[in-house]
Amino acid sequence: MIGYLLFAVVFGLLLLGIHRKVIARIQRRPGPPVWQEILHMLKFSFKSTWIPATASNILFVGVVLVAIGIWSAALFVLLAGGSILIIFGIYMLHKIVEHGFGLSSGSPYGKFGGVRSVISAASEIPLFVSVAVVALYTQSLEISSIVQYQAIHGPLLFIVPLAAIAMYIVILSKMPFGPFSIVESKELVSGYKTEHFGVWRAGLEICNGLKTYVLMFMFITVFIGGIPIWWMLAGMILLTVSLSFACAFSPMLSPFDSVTVQMLITGVMLGYAAVLGVIA
Amino acid sequence: MEMSSLGGIPYYILEFGDELVYFSPYTVSLFLLALVFTMFAVMAKPERQVDIAFGGDAYYAKETSLQELRFRRFMAIACGFASMGAMLTGDIFNFTLFISLVGICNVGIVAAVKNRHVQNAAYQYGIVALSATVPLFGAAALIAATTGTLSMVELWSSATPAVPLVVKALLVLGVMGEGMAPFYAAKAEMFRAPGAPYVIMCSLSSLLIFLRVIEVVLVI
Repeated sequence: MIGYLLFAVVFGLLLLGIHRKVIARIQRRPGPPVWQEILHMLKFSFKSTWIPATASNILFVGVVLVAIGIWSAALFVLLAGGSILIIFGIYMLHKIVEHGFGLSSGSPYGKFGGVRSVISAASEIPLFVSVAVVALYTQSLEISSIVQYQAIHGPLLFIVPLAAIAMYIVILSKMPFGPFSIVESKELVSGYKTEHFGVWRAGLEICNGLKTYVLMFMFITVFIGGIPIWWMLAGMILLTVSLSFACAFSPMLSPFDSVTVQMLITGVMLGYAAVLGVIA
Repeated sequence: MEMSSLGGIPYYILEFGDELVYFSPYTVSLFLLALVFTMFAVMAKPERQVDIAFGGDAYYAKETSLQELRFRRFMAIACGFASMGAMLTGDIFNFTLFISLVGICNVGIVAAVKNRHVQNAAYQYGIVALSATVPLFGAAALIAATTGTLSMVELWSSATPAVPLVVKALLVLGVMGEGMAPFYAAKAEMFRAPGAPYVIMCSLSSLLIFLRVIEVVLVI
């Protein structure tokens, strides 16, 4: 299991590297090598590390461990075919982790990154709607049951395409350089992670790798079904490339616009879920 | 939908008559997170928030006085305990009690800061939290009146009458009112308050009660 965890971290970071490379090529830049994020993680692991004088020491370090812990738990829940509700909870709690990263340092840049993370909580509601629609059809929130349902009835991607789009937008809102990436936009230096450097940043990179792997894996499992691992990895790369195109062709929205757009998407999704509920 | 297919197969149900404590993978996960952040509130000192002085290029670090620190830490720990209770309970009335306690503690965490803007935000949040107790406890009373029980396990079984949809909506409305704290982030006043381990407890407890009410509504 430890081996699989390490694989998930490395592959997740590779996906983020591919994401950067594709965006760069669309913008006619050479871009960094695809393994750049892995190198970042290794580099930060061996750089000098300290805690800012203004920081809340225990919280500053603790949130890094919580971040890695929750996404490791999410990976194991996913592999064990556990409840999608737990992964949904972990996804939402990642907001608190970002919030903790930002506030614990005392830096105004981190603080505003953390505040933006909380105000963009509206982006999580489409995920809930997506989960609710899936539960409506499969009558279960267990991933193993959802996979079994798809083995009989075919991929949910074709049965409830709007729910798949909702989850796609949720993943898009978590991708760097995307239209909803207001938590780490450049006017805030690096947003909530500005003050975390050295081994703390390496921990954050590990969390990002795991998070990317889990979200992509979950999307394919929930909407396409159980497929062999090589097909799964190929699907994750394809999904990343499509997200990179979406990020490269859309500007980063202002915090107000970002929240407004997410609220509109949420409204549409709630309407869709209500209509499906009435039909069912 | 099977109860076990929502938050996983329950590990253990501890019964005290009609009341019960309910350990499933989902509730235990949420409980552990509340526990971890409560430990942070116990052990961590508040950060010194760096702020810019208007009219110049000076900056200063805000200090939290010992008196304020003690009160807010107490409130954050109480909030953590209330959140842990709300995560594990399998009784609707206890659930609503814990939720209202979370609301009260969240107001306390913010209201202790001696800053006009922060206290304004706390006052408004307090009004919303107080108003929310009506649908919250009303929902618990209506569930007892329509089904004759407040036990979530009994409510899930087909032997008891179904809980009306409007009652479920009232319960969600009550929880949303008590957990309004994260929405006040948009006002930013709350974040003028230093003390990250305590401010985070506001957001965490609100998020946890939102997550738990989803399961509760699906179970009953």
